[in-house]
Amino acid sequence: MLTYKKIVKMIPVEKREELSDKLLNYLLKSKKEKKMPSSLAKCFLSQWQTGSFDDEVGLAVLLEATALLEPEKTTEFLEQELQLAEVAKALKEAASAGGV
Amino acid sequence: MVNFGIEFVPKEAYWKTVYYAIQSEKRGFDNLWITDHYNNRNVYVTLAATAMYTKKIVFGPGVTNPFLVNPIMTAQSLASLDEMAPGRVVLGMGAGDKTTLASTGIEATKQLSAVVDAIAIFKAMLEGKSVTYEGAVFQVKGTKFNFKPRGQIPVYVGAQGPKMLATAGKIGDGVLINASHPKDIDYAVKQIKSGVKEAGKNLSDVDVTAYTSFSVHEKPEKAMQAASPVVAFIVAGSPNVILERHGIDLEKANKIRGALKKGDFGVAFGSVSPKMMEAFSIAGTPDVCNEKISRLLKAGITQFVVGSPIGPNVRKSIDLISEQVIPHFKE
Repeated sequence: MLTYKKIVKMIPVEKREELSDKLLNYLLKSKKEKKMPSSLAKCFLSQWQTGSFDDEVGLAVLLEATALLEPEKTTEFLEQELQLAEVAKALKEAASAGGV
Repeated sequence: MVNFGIEFVPKEAYWKTVYYAIQSEKRGFDNLWITDHYNNRNVYVTLAATAMYTKKIVFGPGVTNPFLVNPIMTAQSLASLDEMAPGRVVLGMGAGDKTTLASTGIEATKQLSAVVDAIAIFKAMLEGKSVTYEGAVFQVKGTKFNFKPRGQIPVYVGAQGPKMLATAGKIGDGVLINASHPKDIDYAVKQIKSGVKEAGKNLSDVDVTAYTSFSVHEKPEKAMQAASPVVAFIVAGSPNVILERHGIDLEKANKIRGALKKGDFGVAFGSVSPKMMEAFSIAGTPDVCNEKISRLLKAGITQFVVGSPIGPNVRKSIDLISEQVIPHFKE
């Protein structure tokens, strides 16, 4: 199983900004807030305070969070819009294993 | 130069509100206001988290009320926040919404006196000395913190009626006016001036703040659509004298009131007229919003607060304001 940081490395650089934008929308509009672990919420805010969600670390945080809160939307976007089926598969595996 | 503030209602998980708070700071807002209603997340928990993740934005409850939260507890909360974010904390204090308070079993009587008492107690407690105060609504006897507050914290008074506006001018460092139209700001500034004069101050000593219902999007219809539910609630809650000031048909307003009471939101939101939108919101493209903000500036405001709904997509609207609204007034 790959870690979220390793999954990010599978994503072409030119697609990361679009993905980050979409994942942020999923997260901020999600009604499944209770699925967000407290430690991940803090990690999400620290990343936003000190950096961005376009870089590798930020995108890994977003992937982890959306894989928990909005897994279907996230994998669908990866597969259908970005044509990244392998990334979607790796994300599903990471999420079902509890992530790293 | 005008300052820009932004208001959030903490109705979602704390991390979402704090995400927007960080974004607002990054995008150039000066002030952040978090509403205080018992049925949302706690304002001070949200503000404490905001303090942890921001470093320059000025923030505070906008607004709390003395009926649900005793002024001593408000002073304690703000003094504690001021330790977390020195010099970045302000208080917004108003009379509260009678209907909401009634649902908690609180009868909000003598609202003006309650606000005056609360602010007097708040300021005295921040001196760090033993406080004895005999007000019409609140009394304290030998009350003192076991810690030394950092000092005074600016107080903004939430006001709409003539007496509260004048009082706000008299005792406040700022006034939060729930209004989006120059007619209402003109009226408010006149009342504030009378209070300022009575206190021997200048109007420039008071941060005259328009707390608006705001919605921006590059497609005007999307901005309007996002704002219409908020406007429906404003119309329903506005005294008839204010509706008449804007030439709004009282029958149409009553239709909205009735629909909201029945929970028929489709009818209520669908009954919002262009005149109501014009009176009670600033909604449209960035250019349209800029023109309307300019009119409020001419009417005398010194802080403009972007309030609910902000836009159809809050995150993107904050970016749009940062790119096309704030620079229009600050550069």
